[in-house]
Amino acid sequence: MRLRNLILWDIRFQAKYGFYFLYAVLTVLYVVLLFALPMDLRRKAAAILIFSDPAAMGMFFMGAVILLEKSQKIPCAFAVSPVKAAEYILAEVISFGAISEIVALVIAVAAGVSNLPGVLIGTLFSSVMFTLLGMIVAAKIKSLNQFVLGTVPFEIICFVPAILYLFGMLPEWMQYVPQVWCMGLIAQIDQSIMGIVWYAMLILLLFFVAYRNIERMWNSMGGAKL
Amino acid sequence: MIQVKNLSFGYTDKPFIRDMNFEVREGEIFGFLGPSGAGKSTLQKILIGMLPKYEGSVRVNGIECREHEKDFYENIGVDFEFSTMYEKLTARENLRFFSSLYQRKPRSIEELLEAVGLLSDADKKVSDFSKGMKSRLNFIKALLHDPVLLFLDEPTSGLDPTNNRMMKDLILEEKKKGKTILLTTHNMQDATELCDRVAFIVNGEILALDSPHNLIMAKGAANVTYTWQEDGEKTAVCPLNEIAGDEKLRQLIVENRLQSIHSSEPTLNDIFMDITGRTLV
Repeated sequence: MRLRNLILWDIRFQAKYGFYFLYAVLTVLYVVLLFALPMDLRRKAAAILIFSDPAAMGMFFMGAVILLEKSQKIPCAFAVSPVKAAEYILAEVISFGAISEIVALVIAVAAGVSNLPGVLIGTLFSSVMFTLLGMIVAAKIKSLNQFVLGTVPFEIICFVPAILYLFGMLPEWMQYVPQVWCMGLIAQIDQSIMGIVWYAMLILLLFFVAYRNIERMWNSMGGAKL
Repeated sequence: MIQVKNLSFGYTDKPFIRDMNFEVREGEIFGFLGPSGAGKSTLQKILIGMLPKYEGSVRVNGIECREHEKDFYENIGVDFEFSTMYEKLTARENLRFFSSLYQRKPRSIEELLEAVGLLSDADKKVSDFSKGMKSRLNFIKALLHDPVLLFLDEPTSGLDPTNNRMMKDLILEEKKKGKTILLTTHNMQDATELCDRVAFIVNGEILALDSPHNLIMAKGAANVTYTWQEDGEKTAVCPLNEIAGDEKLRQLIVENRLQSIHSSEPTLNDIFMDITGRTLV
């Protein structure tokens, strides 16, 4: 019940802060861009667009969400409420995942992708990973500049191998690397189902770190460092 | 309701709170008084479970604070000194959001807003609120889930006299409903008026703990101050219980030369200064 409420309120906050409007505009731009490309490039371009934006939006926007909450001392309110860090994390992951899925669906349809469920699963998996990464960094920082700097290494680690893989520039075994495996799902490249094992292990690790960082952030916001 | 035994805590190796012992009974208003940096807020953070690395025992509602689960907060309401609201949401939206986080049936948002005079501002964004309005909104946020234990940090800070009075009446009303209230304040007048018992905290130690009345009566009897004209205005002070033996006063009364006479009790602030050697800043 509380998780459901948190998700619904997160969606309302995101709408209120203009995330939905922003992504409506961006989606139109992406669709126009895709139609400007020749047919043979559209699917790869769509995969890059989906992986680097709607799927990764959680990483970019968790910084804004958490910095905004810190500036209004909301973590103190969460610290003395029955909300568990796990519920907070899940609500953010699910609410950002929902926007990611809608935008990815529109882009995939515009690009003429046939296997829509595959794209949506790949987008969802990527979105969970990116949102957790964004949360891990955002819980530790105090300014937007710090957040931008803090996320650069993750962007390089996530985007570069995934894009190289898309263009066949990586060895076969690299498909098991979680971010590469996610890109493979979005781009509908045939790959081993075993990639899910490594992906699940990474998500468990990211969830654990995010949980620890969020709990520390909530408890230290009262003015005392633990 | 609260039992604190041999509590010590430090942010560094040096203890900041030293060997504190006290109990808070169910249904009482208990005040923490002390100057800035005395340890009041740290003590409050330990009691609300935000600082688990303490020594000794701190039991709140029967639960050791360092071991609490998150449902501990179903029975606790915390009013921080600062606003903890989403500025872009309206007052009503904020209250609806925070009430949705609890399992307990929430109190009526309309009634709470009306009680603090904010019903007409319910649909304004919190960013448009004054400091006093935010303070009142923060207070009712702590009451939303009808907790049995309330922690109030400087609840009257930044309020004008009318709202100050209203806030104190609301606190007394919550006490009448059986709630236990912990109040942290600099304001001795508020503490005298509201608290059943107060603890004077200085340098992380409790230097006195009793009802405001007992503290005042134990430390200083009421005095009588009188003035008369004799080569300019003269003033004399005599303890109330020795007034019959004050020859000068008797003479002035007989000669009808008294210019003014009044009795005065020491205030809680006088007692605080007397016991701690500090003022409340």
